[in-house]
Amino acid sequence: MFYIDNLLIKGFRNYRQQQLQFHPHLNILIGDNAQGKTNLLESIYYLSVTRSFRTNHDQELTHWEEQSLYLKGTFIKNGFNHVVQISYLQNGRFKLTINNDPVNRYDHLQQFPVVVFSPDDLQIVREGPSIRRRFINLEASRLSPKYFKELRAYQRVLLQRNHLLKDKQNRRQINVLLEPWDQSLIALGSNIIRYRVEVISDLEKEAQLFFNLMTNSRETLSLSYLSTVNYCDDLLEIPKNFHSALMTKRDQEFNRGSTAIGPHLDDFKILINGYDARRFSSQGQKRTAALALKMAEVYLFKRQNHEGPIILLDDVFSEFDINRKIHLLDFLRDNSGQCFISTAVDLNNLIESLNREHKIFSIRQGCASDEIVRSSS
Amino acid sequence: MAYPVSLKKLVDVLCRFPGIGQKTAQRLAFYLLGCSREDVIAIARAMVEAKDRLTFCVICGSLAEAESCSYCSDPGRDQSLLCVVQEPRDVLVLERTGQYRGLYHVLHGALSPLDGIGPEELKLDQLVRRVEDKNVGEVIVATNPNVEGDATAAYIAMLLKPLASRVTRIAFGLPVGGDIEYADDLTLSRSLEGRREI
Repeated sequence: MFYIDNLLIKGFRNYRQQQLQFHPHLNILIGDNAQGKTNLLESIYYLSVTRSFRTNHDQELTHWEEQSLYLKGTFIKNGFNHVVQISYLQNGRFKLTINNDPVNRYDHLQQFPVVVFSPDDLQIVREGPSIRRRFINLEASRLSPKYFKELRAYQRVLLQRNHLLKDKQNRRQINVLLEPWDQSLIALGSNIIRYRVEVISDLEKEAQLFFNLMTNSRETLSLSYLSTVNYCDDLLEIPKNFHSALMTKRDQEFNRGSTAIGPHLDDFKILINGYDARRFSSQGQKRTAALALKMAEVYLFKRQNHEGPIILLDDVFSEFDINRKIHLLDFLRDNSGQCFISTAVDLNNLIESLNREHKIFSIRQGCASDEIVRSSS
Repeated sequence: MAYPVSLKKLVDVLCRFPGIGQKTAQRLAFYLLGCSREDVIAIARAMVEAKDRLTFCVICGSLAEAESCSYCSDPGRDQSLLCVVQEPRDVLVLERTGQYRGLYHVLHGALSPLDGIGPEELKLDQLVRRVEDKNVGEVIVATNPNVEGDATAAYIAMLLKPLASRVTRIAFGLPVGGDIEYADDLTLSRSLEGRREI
C-alpha cells in the first residue's frame, strides 16, 4: 500500500500553518469556493512532482504574507516511512530532502506518484497542441527518467540549432554548421517520438476501458500520435525520414529562424466515436475523455510500480451526471490506492453508498478540521 | 556586522573564485589572516608566478611553461595517436590514467551557437592541419558527453574522416568500482549500446 500519511503545510497559498493527518484510503475535502481545497491538493501534488498543476511559477505558491513555503509530508511505501521536505525561498532557493538526505528534483519525480484531475484538464482535449505536448512530456518523464533526460538534451539542441538558423552571418557555410546539430536532433528526437508513440498506445488501451465504463460502452475513445516526421507505423524508419524531412524544410527553417520538424511540434489526436474530440464533441464528452486520460495514467503507474498512485480529484463531481458519478466512484473503490476528493457540493449520499471508512476535512479560509466517518457495516 | 574595509575587499576577491560563496570566502580570508606574513607572500607569489610562466602550447594548446608543452616535446610519445579534448585541465585528467601515451589537442571549448562559439572560435584549423601534416593514424575524440560535446564530436568526425585513418570517440559507461544499481538510467542505457564481446 502506498499513501501519504500526514502533511505539514507552512506558507503555501492561503495556508499559514496546517498539520494534517490523512486517511489511507479516502479523504473528502469539503468547503465553499475559494477556501483552500484545491490549494491542499496542490500541496500534495507539489510534494510529489515538485511542480504545481496550476502554475509554472513557484513564487505564486508562497503565502502572500510569507517569504518562503515549507512542506513536510510522510509517504508510506512498502511499509516504510519516507519523509519528504520541500522548502522554497522567495529568491528562488529550492530545497528537497527525503529522510533528511538532499535529493535531486528530477530523481524525485518517479518516487511518489500522484495523479491529479482538475477542471483545467479539460484543456488537454479542448486547447491547442502545446497543452497536449506538456501532458505527454510530463507523463512520459514520470514513467521514464531516460525520456526526461533525453527531452532536456533535445530542448538544448533545439535552442542551439535555432540560434544557428537565426544567425544571418553564417549563411554561406550554414549546412556544414548545422550538420552536427542535425545529427543530435535526429538521434534524440527519434527516441522521444518512439517513446511517445509507446506511451500513447498504452494510454489509449487503458483510457478506452475507462471510457467504456463511464459511457456504458455507448461511445468509443481512441488516440493517435501526429508526428511532423512521417513514419507509417514503422518506428525504425523515423531517423531516416526525420533527416529527409529536415532537408526539404531547410529553406522554410531559414526564413522562420526555427526548427520546423521534430517532436517539439508533434501532437496527438483524441477521437470520440472516430471524430476529433477537440472539434466535434460536447463539453461532457470532452470532460469524460480528459478524465479517461488521467485514469489511464493511474493504470500505467500501477503497472510500473505494482501499486496505485495517489489520486487527487479536484471538484470533479459537480460536473458529471449521476451515472458517471457512480461509475467514477466504482472505479475509485476498485482501485486500491489512496484518493482525495474535493467538493463544494454535498456528496453525502454518494459517499455513503460507498460504505467505506473515510475522513472528511472541512476547509475554511486556509484552515482544515477533520472528522473520521466509519463505515456502517 | 560591518566588515573592516580590507577584510571586505579580501572576501569580495575570494568570492570571485568559482564555487566559492560568501561563507567559504570568509573562511579562507580568516585562514589567510591566521597565516604568517611569509606564507601569505608565498601564496600570492605562487599565483603570480603561475600566471606569468604558464602559457598554452603553440602546437596542441595544452598548458606549457615553454613554447611547446612537455607532451609535444617528448619524443617517447606515440606521434600517430591524437586525443582531442575540450579544456587544458582535461589533459591533466587523462594523463593521470598513465595509460595514454599519444599526443593531445585542446580545443578550448565546445561548439555552442548560443554562446557565440562556432568552429572558428575553437582550435579546429590547427587540428586539421596537424592531422594533414603529421602522419596521424587515429584521432580519439574525448569531448564531454553532453549536448555541446556531442555536436563538437560529430563536427570533428565530419572534418577528419577524409583525412585520418581512424576517428574514434571514448566510450560512455559505468564508473569502475561502482555498483550497477547506482548508475543512472541514461548512463546505463548508453553502456548497453556500447557493450562489447568478452
